Amino acid sequence: MNRFDLLNKIQNILKDNLVICNIGLPSQELYKINDQPNFFYMLGSMGLSSSIGLGLSLSQNKHVISIDGDGSVLMNMNTLATIGNRAPSNYTLLIIDNGSYGSTGDQRTFTDENTSLKDVAIGAGCKNVVECSGDETVNELSKAIEDQNNSYVIISKINSGNVKIDPIPLNPITIRDRFRKFIGIVKYL
Amino acid sequence: MKISKKIIDNLKKGGVDFYLSVPCKLLANMIDILEKDKDVYYSAVPREEEGMGICAGAYLGNKFPCIMMQNTGIGNSVNAIVSLLQLYQMPVVFLISYRGTPGEPVGAQGGMAKITEDILQTLRIPMLHCSSENDLEKISTFSKHAKVVESPVAILCDFNLMKDDK
Repeated sequence: MNRFDLLNKIQNILKDNLVICNIGLPSQELYKINDQPNFFYMLGSMGLSSSIGLGLSLSQNKHVISIDGDGSVLMNMNTLATIGNRAPSNYTLLIIDNGSYGSTGDQRTFTDENTSLKDVAIGAGCKNVVECSGDETVNELSKAIEDQNNSYVIISKINSGNVKIDPIPLNPITIRDRFRKFIGIVKYL
Repeated sequence: MKISKKIIDNLKKGGVDFYLSVPCKLLANMIDILEKDKDVYYSAVPREEEGMGICAGAYLGNKFPCIMMQNTGIGNSVNAIVSLLQLYQMPVVFLISYRGTPGEPVGAQGGMAKITEDILQTLRIPMLHCSSENDLEKISTFSKHAKVVESPVAILCDFNLMKDDK
């Protein structure tokens, strides 16, 4: 199973929640599979999906899923400590860990060598850290959303590999405003 | 405490209700005030760039965020400012302790001080430079301006203004 297969499998769970999606192929694949106004596609700032989702979950009550990647989490590992100490129960971090920098040509990341993001997350103080296969991810993600008393970090171990895909045609303000309209903040659209 | 209280009061008057900080001794009094304030959210964060991301999420969730940091933090955050906050036009207030300005005892802080305003200017971030107590009155209007122009803005607080705020 690669990232595109996994996103296909979890799309029905995602469509009812606020989703912050990582820059590059993850966002492009998600857009292609089933574009929704409650999906915030990152067009820059690699590494910050987890942090953006954390800020969003601290600011309103709807459930937030940050879709991040192993390469991106490795770039912003300090935020696992912030999540470990501050994440509210409406926050789930889904790390799609394919051991590869998929958007830049599938160079190996350190999770394909010695680094365990599960151990890092636990060490950083995160509660409910789950490492699972791609197939198990649907179930684990559903459980995380249903549990209204705890935040979760799910590390989904899948294979590398991408599908051929176009850049997202939406402009950033469109992504921003339709997302905020879904939450109920923007009234003018 | 008088200066720090005035800064927080003006930020709150400007609508800011979500605060993060990467600590600085010049920000210590403000952090003390915010930790006791039940009306607003406050948390420390380990790194400024990450703070920019959390602020972006807070803005999406209808908060008006502020990140407090040393001017060195701007250097840590340039890509997040440009390709997140500015790309999506997100208002965020940067409350910056301006280390390396006159009165600063640590010589090594001078390097970032020399280029801080140049970086902010290059990024086209509106600046409010506070060097005396009177300047602090401008903070509330300046914060509201961030929302009007949908842009991050920077408030620079000089070393000498903050150092004796006992």
